[in-house]
Amino acid sequence: MTEEKVVVVTGAAGYWGARLAGRLIAEGGLRVVGIDTRPPTPAVEGLDFVRADVRNPLLADLFKAEGVDTVCHLLFRQGARPDEKTFDLNVIGTMKLLGACQQAGVRKVVLKSSTAVYGAHPTNPAFLEESRHLQGSRRYADLGHQVEIEVLAQNFHRQAPEILLTILRFAHGVGPTADSPFTRFLRTPGAPHLLGFDPPLQLIHEDDVVEALAQAVLNDAPGVFNVAAEGVLPLTRILALAGKISPPVLPPLAEWGARLMATAGRPPDRVWPLEPSYLRYRCVADLTKMREELTFAPRYTAVEALQSFTEARQDTGQVNDLTAEDEERLRQTIAERQSQ
Amino acid sequence: MSESEQRPRCQAVTKAGQPCKNYPLAGSAYCAVHQSVSSGQLSVDSEQQLPVTSYQLPVTNEQPLTAEPSGRELREQLMVELDELIKRLQAMTPGYTPPPFSPRGLLEMLEKNAQRLSAADRLGILQKMRGAITQDVFDVETWKGLWYMLNYTLQSQADVVKRRFTGEYEVDEWGLDWEFLDTVRPFFTFLYKLYWRVSTTGIENIPDSGRALLVANHSGQLPWDAAMISTAVLSEHPAQRLVRSLYGAWFPTLPFFSLVFDKIGHALATMENGTRLLQQDEIVAVYPEGYKGVGKLFRDRYKLARFGRGGFVKMALATQSPIIPTAVVGAEETYVSLAKSDSLARLTGFPYFPISPTFPWLGPLGLIPLPTKWSIDFGEPIPTDVVEPDAANNLTLVSQLAEQVRDTVQTMVNQRLAQRRSVFLG
Repeated sequence: MTEEKVVVVTGAAGYWGARLAGRLIAEGGLRVVGIDTRPPTPAVEGLDFVRADVRNPLLADLFKAEGVDTVCHLLFRQGARPDEKTFDLNVIGTMKLLGACQQAGVRKVVLKSSTAVYGAHPTNPAFLEESRHLQGSRRYADLGHQVEIEVLAQNFHRQAPEILLTILRFAHGVGPTADSPFTRFLRTPGAPHLLGFDPPLQLIHEDDVVEALAQAVLNDAPGVFNVAAEGVLPLTRILALAGKISPPVLPPLAEWGARLMATAGRPPDRVWPLEPSYLRYRCVADLTKMREELTFAPRYTAVEALQSFTEARQDTGQVNDLTAEDEERLRQTIAERQSQ
Repeated sequence: MSESEQRPRCQAVTKAGQPCKNYPLAGSAYCAVHQSVSSGQLSVDSEQQLPVTSYQLPVTNEQPLTAEPSGRELREQLMVELDELIKRLQAMTPGYTPPPFSPRGLLEMLEKNAQRLSAADRLGILQKMRGAITQDVFDVETWKGLWYMLNYTLQSQADVVKRRFTGEYEVDEWGLDWEFLDTVRPFFTFLYKLYWRVSTTGIENIPDSGRALLVANHSGQLPWDAAMISTAVLSEHPAQRLVRSLYGAWFPTLPFFSLVFDKIGHALATMENGTRLLQQDEIVAVYPEGYKGVGKLFRDRYKLARFGRGGFVKMALATQSPIIPTAVVGAEETYVSLAKSDSLARLTGFPYFPISPTFPWLGPLGLIPLPTKWSIDFGEPIPTDVVEPDAANNLTLVSQLAEQVRDTVQTMVNQRLAQRRSVFLG
């Protein structure tokens, strides 16, 4: 019997970590070690949980002792204050983890990133390829950290080319349970748009995010890949499909607002979860590499992904009245069952 | 020119709602494009357009009637065609039931819809309708069919507005929104037909399918010339092809412009975008003069500026797309730019700031273009598949070809200018 492959998932108590761990355990044939500073709640069955900080220098010893094959780094503190402590956890934590991987001779590292690292600029071509330089806005802590991590990982790849490095850049994640800047934006009561701008956006269903990460762990696909669902949706169409009555905001006001929040030292994404430039300019990733090299086909289209988000939201939010259709449906069901 | 005026035109109405300008095939009232439509052999593609066709039907019927009011055969043929159309529509829309039929309701509805036309046309149509009733052209079933189709069309038009609010519409990956395009098209058609009275030649140089790169001169302070080239190809070309113009990086920063440009199928001028669109077998239009061309002073009119860095040639060579030189005459005189203010351009962030007799003095009124007479000429395609695609890296060849295209466009402009007698009358 061959030895089981050992996969480490960092941030196992977080949303993506817990979901990927569950998915990999269900796959079978591998041992999944979860690392986080607190155990996942609810507990992930079959997960070998190790309580540790990713910055812990002893991680290299743990990886060596366990004979770790693949590390999937999903620990990322979102929507936090843009302070040194978060930077230390998100960016320096990644650096230290990559160092530990190199030291312990880990074969493969998988990182989760975002297509927002390209930045939304008026000069962007319609479809951004993976080789495009990263001009993501640094105004929001999340994005700034993401860009830092990408730069760091690419330097690391040059230093340690023997480690297979897969970076998946995901579009805005949506779904019934996902918590991303974009779902937070859609949940804000007003969800404003910028007057006179309607950039097309890409989305990805939460299940497809987990599936793409799992595929990257299970199969070797070194390189950087954009991952998004089929179809681009103009922002106003997304807002309409989500049933939002979106007020228009003058672009300079949004710009000044975000700047004001930043100088006041408050996380601007509390008020405006998406950096304003992403509501103004096009930032659409090219998916050729995903289709041809990663051979990954998302199960949900962009519209379906958005529907699953809005349906789940309506389920929890509103109490519907008893409708005539409901009675009719039940009457039919009863009739069908009786006739059987 | 006068000879072609006398030949009858195709009796069909195009998707853009204009009478078809093609000449009919021998022994038929329709051109090659509309032949299949009239004989009921609809492709899947044209079937989707059917609701639009149905809306134009009442008008379509009038034209043959006035041409040959006594032709009994023509009438019968019409009725057969009409009944077929109604049957197809009913099959396509099984869930739709119109309000109950009444002759009065039908006439009222026709009158209401005719209000979109000019008073003279309206009167003409109603008189013809009246005449048609006394002539006992249609039986009751046909009238009911007309009622059905009109109601359906109105319903679907109301649905378009509703769908905007519920988000049930589609755009392609570039952001092109056909429903939006159909909404704004009448405005551009008005500019094309009535305001600038554009006369277009050489439309046959644009292929019915496959890629092509239109290279045009750029003029007139605002990119109306791009809009008119698109309108020309969409409404005059038998295949009604959509032109994808490439615009400068200033427009995405402007509110509304960026939104409208993407929805009507344009894209930012980058090598990546142009190459990709051509690979997708689209017709791409470029204006290599760029801001230098569009913002040129009145005294420099029709003197083509430098043709960029030959990026358009690289695109064409890499994708082996034929280059179609295109000359627009008339756009230069829509605004009279006497001087350019660099300091105001810096202050406003505009790529250039024109000073004309009306702008900026009259504010937004200064933006109204003058109603000059335009002409658009599409030249002979310059083939690029005679060299290997990697010739795109041969800078000598690229610059030579760019120069050649520029000279061709300049010559075409000069020829048209030599024929023109008046700026406003052509």
